[in-house]
Formats: sequence, C-alpha cells, structure tokens
Amino acid sequence: MKRFLNSWTGIIIAFALLYSLKGVLPAAFLTEVVIFSIYAMGCSFLIGRLGLTSFGQPAFLAFGAYGAGVYLYYFGHNSYVAILVGVLVSLVINMLVGLFMVRLNSSYFTLCNQAFCVVTFFLFQKALVKWTFGDNGLLLISRMDPTPFIDLTTTKGIYLFAFLVAIAVWFFYQYLMKKSVFGATCLCVKDNEQKLRFLGYKTFNIKWFAFVIANTTAGLAGAIYTIYFCMVNANIASVNTASEAVAISMLGGAGTLFGPLVGSFLFIGLKDIASQFISHWEVLVGLLLIIVMLAGEKGIVGSLEGYIEKLREKRSLSKPALTKEGGL
Amino acid sequence: MIKMNMQLLISAIVLGLSMSGVYFLLTVGLSLCYGLMRIISLDQFFYYALGAYMVYTITSLTGSFWLGMIGAMLAVLVVAFVVERLINKRVYSKPVMFSMILTFGVNLMGVGLIKYVWGLTPKPVASPIAGRVMILGTGVPTYRIFVIALAIVVYFAVQYFLNKTILGTAIRAGIDDAEKVKALGINISRLFTVTFILSSVLSALAGVIHAPFVMVSPEMGMTITAFAFMVVIIGGLGSIKGTMVSALIVGQVVSLGALIWAPLAEMAPFLVMIIILLIKPTGLYGSKLMHR
Repeated sequence: MKRFLNSWTGIIIAFALLYSLKGVLPAAFLTEVVIFSIYAMGCSFLIGRLGLTSFGQPAFLAFGAYGAGVYLYYFGHNSYVAILVGVLVSLVINMLVGLFMVRLNSSYFTLCNQAFCVVTFFLFQKALVKWTFGDNGLLLISRMDPTPFIDLTTTKGIYLFAFLVAIAVWFFYQYLMKKSVFGATCLCVKDNEQKLRFLGYKTFNIKWFAFVIANTTAGLAGAIYTIYFCMVNANIASVNTASEAVAISMLGGAGTLFGPLVGSFLFIGLKDIASQFISHWEVLVGLLLIIVMLAGEKGIVGSLEGYIEKLREKRSLSKPALTKEGGL
Repeated sequence: MIKMNMQLLISAIVLGLSMSGVYFLLTVGLSLCYGLMRIISLDQFFYYALGAYMVYTITSLTGSFWLGMIGAMLAVLVVAFVVERLINKRVYSKPVMFSMILTFGVNLMGVGLIKYVWGLTPKPVASPIAGRVMILGTGVPTYRIFVIALAIVVYFAVQYFLNKTILGTAIRAGIDDAEKVKALGINISRLFTVTFILSSVLSALAGVIHAPFVMVSPEMGMTITAFAFMVVIIGGLGSIKGTMVSALIVGQVVSLGALIWAPLAEMAPFLVMIIILLIKPTGLYGSKLMHR
C-alpha cells in the first residue's frame, strides 16, 4: 500500500496544487490548462516515447469534439453520454487512420498528419456543412441537461470534472510509461525499430496501438472542450493551431509525465497575458515557438529530471561504495 | 458529369496545368530544402504570401507587374537570407521535427506581420497579360498559358543548375552525402544558404504568379499548405522530377475534381495521396533519400 501511494502521490500533489490555485488565477484559465494538457499528453507520448511527431493533432481533437457535438445536437441531452460518444468516435477513426499513418516513416508521418488535419478541416467546414454548419458550428447550450453527480452545465462542475478526468488520464499514462511492458517496447521502437523487429516483435502493432491510445486521448480532450464551450465549430481543426500541441510537448519536455501540464500552463498563460498587449496573436505564438525550439530538446521537466538524476548520483557517490576505479 | 462538354473540359485541364505550375514552384523549394538540409521548411508559405503582397504593393505603386515580380523576388531574397542566417541554420543538425515547428513559427510570425502591415482585407492583383488564346475552339486566358510556360522554364532551369553548374553539382553531392562534401573542403553552410535562398525565391515567384488568380490575403499561405504537402508527399521528398510529376497530377485532380463536385477539389488529392502511399510509402520518386 505504501509503495502504491508513493508512486501515485506525485500526480495527486501536482493536480491538488493546480486545483488550489483557483483562488489566485481565474478558473477559466485553469480549466483550459487542464483540458489542453490532456490533449498535449497524447502528443507528448507520441513524440517522446515513440519518436513520431504528429502535426495533425487538431484533427483528432476535432473528431472527439464533433462526436460529442453531433450526439448532443441530434440525438440526446446527456453530457456524459456525449463525451463517451466522442471518445468512441475518435477511437474508431483513429483505428482506421492509424492503419494507414503508422506505415509511414517519421517525416512522411508528420507531413501526412498535417495534410490529414487540413482535409479534416475542409470536411467539417465545407463537405459536411449541412450537418456541421461549418464556421458557425453547432450551438449546444440549450441542448444540454444538468447531469447527476457533477453538473457539467455549470462552470464549477466542468472545472472539477476536467480535473478528475485529467488525474485519471495521468494515472493511466504513468502506468503506461513507467510500469507496463508495452511502454518499454514503445521506447524500443523509438531507439531502434529494426532491432526490435529482429527480436520478433511486430512493430506495426505496437505503433498502431500507441497511435490509437495517444490520439484517443486527444479525442477525449476534444469532447470535454465541446461540453466546456457548449459549442463546436470547424475552427477546432484549424491548421493554425497544429503546432501548439507539439510545441507544448516540447516546452514541457516530450515523453515526461508532467511535461504537458507544465507546458500548457506556461504556453497558455503567456499567450493570455501577451494577447492583452498585442492584437496579432500570430506574431507572439510564432516567436514563442521559435524560442522553445531553439532553447533545447529536453524541455523544462526533462531538464529538471536530468538535474534531479545528477543530484541523486552525487548523493550515492558520496556514500562509501565500490566504484569502477576503486575496484581496481 | 451529366453534361460535361468539351469546352468546360479543356478550360479545366488548362486551369489544372497552371495550378500545377504554381504548385511546382512552391514545392520545389520544400523538396530542395529537404534534400540538402533535411529540414521541412514551412516558412516557404510565408515567402509565397510575402511575394504576393510585394507584387500587389509594387504593382499598385508603379503600375508594372513585371517590376513587381522582380521586386518581390529581391525582397524575399533579403528576408530569406536574414531568416536563414539568424534562425534556420541552428536546427539543421537536429531531427526534422525541430525544423518543422521552428519554421512553422516563422510562418505564423510572418502571417501576423503581414496582417499588421497590409491589414485583413484581401487585395486584388490585375492579370498582367490580357486576352485569350483559342485552343480547340475554347478561349483560354493567355496568362494561364504564360504560367504554364514559366513553370516549364523554371523546371529546366533548376535541372540545368543542378546538373551542369559547379554549384549545382556541389548541392547534389551534398544531397548524397553532406559529410563527404564537407571533407572535400566545400563550404557546406554557404551551400545551405544558397539553396535556401533559391527555394524561397522560387516560392515567392509562385506567390507572384498565383496572385492574379486569387485575391491576395494573409491566410493564402495557409490555404495552399495542404496542396503543397500533398504534392511533396506524392512526388517523394527531395526529388525535383517527382515534384514536377506530382504537381501535374494534383493540379489535374483538383481542377477536374472541382468540375464533378466542388468539395472534391480538396478531398480528391488526399485520396490520391493515400492510394499512392499505400502502394509506395515513400512517394513516387522518393526512394533513395529516405534514410534518417
């Protein structure tokens, strides 16, 4: 039990800390940070653990969002069911798209994903305009009934709900990255795919499975976005935001557990603050992307982890122990 | 499809060919940059938009489109030089993803600056060549023929430059093995700069010749992104010939697709891309260069 607590306390503390910031920072900002970090988590996993950079994340976000939106607009009134539908829709689509995308090597994967993102945007904006109403979008505010347990129609409810979902997602990813064999094989794919194949693993299956998991996480974030904003329009798949998820992953540290959280917090915070001074947000986001990319590969959490690792080594060295040189 | 008459078909094919010209000029830069520097240079779309805006400004100031064309290319040359020396050269040694996000950042910044300088309203650019040519009884605007001819000239010029000149040979050698070229005492960093500037100027030229077809707007670089990617992917990254062939394919698919059902213009190239990638995952001509 103690061990169990030890391994999970980090997540609880991080989110409790973030939750307690409610008094200091506006709740809308914190909700957005949490939802965005769920969205960035999948992307970070793909980059850091699998070596695949997906520039088409908004597309996968959009499928979840539209899954939830279309359900609420045409079929039912329950927000919980809507989120479930969004996740299922994005799961099915990711399974199909993954079959094709995962075959490609990294540069093509990146480009194809971005092309897929643009096509998804056209799909929702123009081709399916009869059902999705393009840029105007689906307005859901009158279609959502109050839900039991946590009332998702209130800002307070969605705030709490987003936090709970995020904690669940983090537990899941902690298990995936730190404990499971599957997570280890993912890292092997990143390091040396050929060797893994030589050892008898089917790398296609591993990559496909990871692709589906990561992008379904994005779909989940999209579904929560829909409930949060009470609407969904084609702009959610806009290619302009394609690099944000990737940039946040890199800023926080790709493949680390808390990277997406720290990254989203800083990125969205900076964007919010600066957009009060500059009216053209593109200049600012562009500048931010350039700085993040030039600053380094590890990101904030990645660098911190390296630092902690060094401290630990120092401490263990100061204890009397056999070292390599000492052995001789 | 119900009543597709000959005239409609011919004008669609010519439109498709001229679109192919624009796509080719835009993507040849992407392809060259990937071939030599192993970067995916998304800021080419900024140079494309900047070229279009420069030609709009100079044309409305002086009245001469051709002066505008030269001015746009010169302006982009300077901007590309500064960007390459200041920013892009820092990520050549890193994985492709870095260059992609970095240049996407440059692109976003560029779009923001364009909005700041020229405003949000789309600007018209008049076609410099008026008149029509008759092809098989169909009147086709002469300017479209000019665009096709220009793209062909550029294709052969680039091929000549890469195959027959010393600098081009060095670039081709760099595409094969950058380390060895460095060992031969060739200043590879200067080669990178030259290639980047060449790519950017060609992208600007694409923007210039595309300007009379469409309204010049800040988002024009973003709109064409998808098609440019599809061209690059279908042709195979790093291959000039592949880029040309796939530009021809995509141009026709777009214009003929639009003839059948309007949203097909955006969807059909993607379907073609998927089919080609399923058969050959590295694109039509991109087999050798796909290591790393």
